[in-house]
Amino acid sequence: MVTQTQPSPSSQPLTIKDLQTENPRWCVGCGDFGILMGVKRFMVDTQISAAQTVNVSGIGCSGRAPNYINAYGVHSIHGRPITVAMGLALSRPDLNLFIHAGDGDTLSIGGNHFIHGINKNFKCVFVLYDNELYALTKNQTSPTTRKGHTTMTQPQGTYLDPIGALRLALGAGASFVASTADWIPDHMASTLKAAFAHPGFALVHISQRCPHFDPNNFDHKTSSWFSFLKHEKGIAPDKRIADKTEVIEHDPSNLEAAFKFACSPRPYFGLFYQNSNKPRYDSIMHDLVKQAKPRSRAQLLDGYKI
Amino acid sequence: MSVDKVSVARFELLMDAGFGAQKAGDVLVQAFAKAGKYVYIEPMIPAEISPPPRTRPALSGVIIRVADFDITNIGNDTDVIIASHEIVLDRRLDDDEHNPNCKVLLDMGDKEDNQESYEKACKRVTKLGLNIYPFEITTEAKDAIKAMGGKGTNMFYLGMLTWIYSMTEQSVVDEIKLTFKKLKEDILEKNIRIFHQGYQFAKDNVHFSYQVDGSPENQTGEKILIDGNSALSMGLIDAGIKLFSGYPITPASSIMHTLAKVLPSYGGIVHQAEDEISAIGTAIGSYFGGVPSVTCTSGPGLSLKQEFIGYASAAEIPLIIIDAQRSGPSTGMPTKTEQSDLLAAAFGSHGDNTKIIISVANVIDCFYAPQMARYLAEKLRLPVFIMSDFQTANSYKVITKPQVTEMNDVNEIKDFVLERFHINRLPDKIEMVRDDQANPGTPGHMRRVTGLNTDSKGNVNYSANTNQHSHEIRNEKVHTVARALTKPEMFGNEENEVLVVGWGSTRGAIEEAIYVCKKEGLPISGLHLKIVSPLPLMLTEIFKKFKKVVTVEVAYGDEIKPAPLAMLLRSQTLVDVKSIICEATGRPIRPKIIKQKAKEILHGHANATVTV
Repeated sequence: MVTQTQPSPSSQPLTIKDLQTENPRWCVGCGDFGILMGVKRFMVDTQISAAQTVNVSGIGCSGRAPNYINAYGVHSIHGRPITVAMGLALSRPDLNLFIHAGDGDTLSIGGNHFIHGINKNFKCVFVLYDNELYALTKNQTSPTTRKGHTTMTQPQGTYLDPIGALRLALGAGASFVASTADWIPDHMASTLKAAFAHPGFALVHISQRCPHFDPNNFDHKTSSWFSFLKHEKGIAPDKRIADKTEVIEHDPSNLEAAFKFACSPRPYFGLFYQNSNKPRYDSIMHDLVKQAKPRSRAQLLDGYKI
Repeated sequence: MSVDKVSVARFELLMDAGFGAQKAGDVLVQAFAKAGKYVYIEPMIPAEISPPPRTRPALSGVIIRVADFDITNIGNDTDVIIASHEIVLDRRLDDDEHNPNCKVLLDMGDKEDNQESYEKACKRVTKLGLNIYPFEITTEAKDAIKAMGGKGTNMFYLGMLTWIYSMTEQSVVDEIKLTFKKLKEDILEKNIRIFHQGYQFAKDNVHFSYQVDGSPENQTGEKILIDGNSALSMGLIDAGIKLFSGYPITPASSIMHTLAKVLPSYGGIVHQAEDEISAIGTAIGSYFGGVPSVTCTSGPGLSLKQEFIGYASAAEIPLIIIDAQRSGPSTGMPTKTEQSDLLAAAFGSHGDNTKIIISVANVIDCFYAPQMARYLAEKLRLPVFIMSDFQTANSYKVITKPQVTEMNDVNEIKDFVLERFHINRLPDKIEMVRDDQANPGTPGHMRRVTGLNTDSKGNVNYSANTNQHSHEIRNEKVHTVARALTKPEMFGNEENEVLVVGWGSTRGAIEEAIYVCKKEGLPISGLHLKIVSPLPLMLTEIFKKFKKVVTVEVAYGDEIKPAPLAMLLRSQTLVDVKSIICEATGRPIRPKIIKQKAKEILHGHANATVTV
């Protein structure tokens, strides 16, 4: 739209080392390390320009992610990274946008923005770090905490069933819904790759371990408790563990089946749904500008003449 | 019967909402303006969309002030009222804005079914000592109005006003044609016929009329008729703003409506966000991307935006927020004016507050304020407010067309714009918390912004000294502005008994009040601030030359509680500034009230011993 800076042709290929900033201040064993590495691996695999990339985050452990990736970044406020990313999507369509948000960010304080980001379908990759509780504020119930799980705020055990992020996203009309986990890096990198290639708002839900506050949220040592979704138009199951669990053939254009998987108590990793034809609000806005009859500011006030 | 030659006149047309009182007013002021008269028009807008007719909330109308000299405000009192029925009249009399000789022309068309109510209203008028002139729309016109489904009454009244204010029928018909050019020809003709009938009726039956002369110099140069919100909208375009991000709220919404139609033609986007918080987040995102943006709101929306305002100052992302203030707290009176958001704007976010507050006094300020705001926001990388209010947002004036400057780079800001806001050009180099402020897309300058405290390299840092240092740098940016502020505008002598101080929309009323005081030999002066936070550093010196300093504010204040501006002035100057001329009535403050209260203060009658 306006100030578009062209990426300068870089002579050297992008490496993991180039993306390094400081050592992350996360707990030992935190799933965020896996996600961070997955994002970096994806960036290196696709050789996207770091200078043309903006990582936008909210508040929480996940909110720190942009600080640990040597690209541009906005560590914004709790629940609102979508709103900031929207501004960049409208004003700087030349940039690659990644949103990093936790389950509290996405489904509690930022629930409204999540619905509208999905509906506006602006081009970005939305990475949902789901560790099923508030961790940076020290162990409170979040919208995705398992019913009965004890936390500091619901010590008798979390009272309600969790909000299903994938179900909610599909219901809101998401054009791309995928799920993966922090401990299957190959699958995560392919998921991010598919999400990045998607023309619209691409939701990547990541099951994230939180050994400090909930060592039992996801069992990364076994695989029989989840299934992979697979399809030629989908995301390939993780090679290392595909033979250790169920792999289901699922056509990602089938919304009804996608809902069925999203509503099931059993976790599925893979591409639930994709619709590449959903209109994009950012494109509509840019087209409005392109199609508008240009006017010169010199005649700005002429319409008010008496 | 003779024509009364007057220098200034004020009249109002009161009708039910939806019957075109404001349109009629628009037509008449354009005809006035083309005849070289100075005009100021204030619409009265109901808070509901279609309140039931013949009820008090249905009051919709216009107040028009016309003069042979340049007028800066809506003035004191009304000389002539035309009311379409007794209920809107009765409601408006509550506001106590009529002059003692006011002539009230009351349409008796509804009397048959409402005898008692009419009698009560007429009695009230007589009891107030005003003159009542009952009249009825002619049968011929009534039939025509009926045939148009009840529309067209406004044209009859417009005809009457045209005669009462000695305008030629042709000059007004020309404006009707221009204003309603989208109407079908036969409908337009019918309206014009009703207009002529109203004119003829007044000529035959109304035995008073006024003549306000036009001024020849006011007929030179290009003239525009514009309201505050339209002027702000055009000013945003002239300032090079490329993204407008807002959420519907009265009285700010009309800025979004205006820009939605035209901004794409100037290469910009109007984004309607899902809520107020999202709207400001998107403005911040755009400015982080290096693209000038603005968000726009009113009281309740300001409360919602506060967290992001604090964030923008910490993250050093430029931000422009327009606050069109309205009567609060909460939904208050959404279509009435007030200046009560000043402290929420200055101190509303959490933690230490560093931001700049610009206010607008009139439609010309509205046009230039966006350039001023963009200059400060980008130079300082801090949040900058433009504070307007319902009155400024909706009042119209005919003005000489302002100079369009087509700003691209903020350093191009014209001296006359800086002078208008009483500020000198800022130093070229302003120190930032972070050394590198590159826009995304710049290779080799990858950087992350955060609300966490950082060192000069942008790395998160929790050490005591670094945090204190960040505060110092942010505050130094604000101090730079304080030092650049020049002496604010003053009216009357610079050494006197009483000084009245105001900001934003009260400027015109202060100027006029002091003009009258001076003429009457009263030792009362005025001072008006455009940039209200920070305040200029020489205020204490100025205040010392007066025995008493009081503020004029359309906000609540009393003996114990200083109104918002008084609070700011007291804390900065340690002068015992009182809030004597402060009203939260929802109506603009009037010059005569300023004069009257300033006089009481002068004579020590006001409820305060004001000492410096």
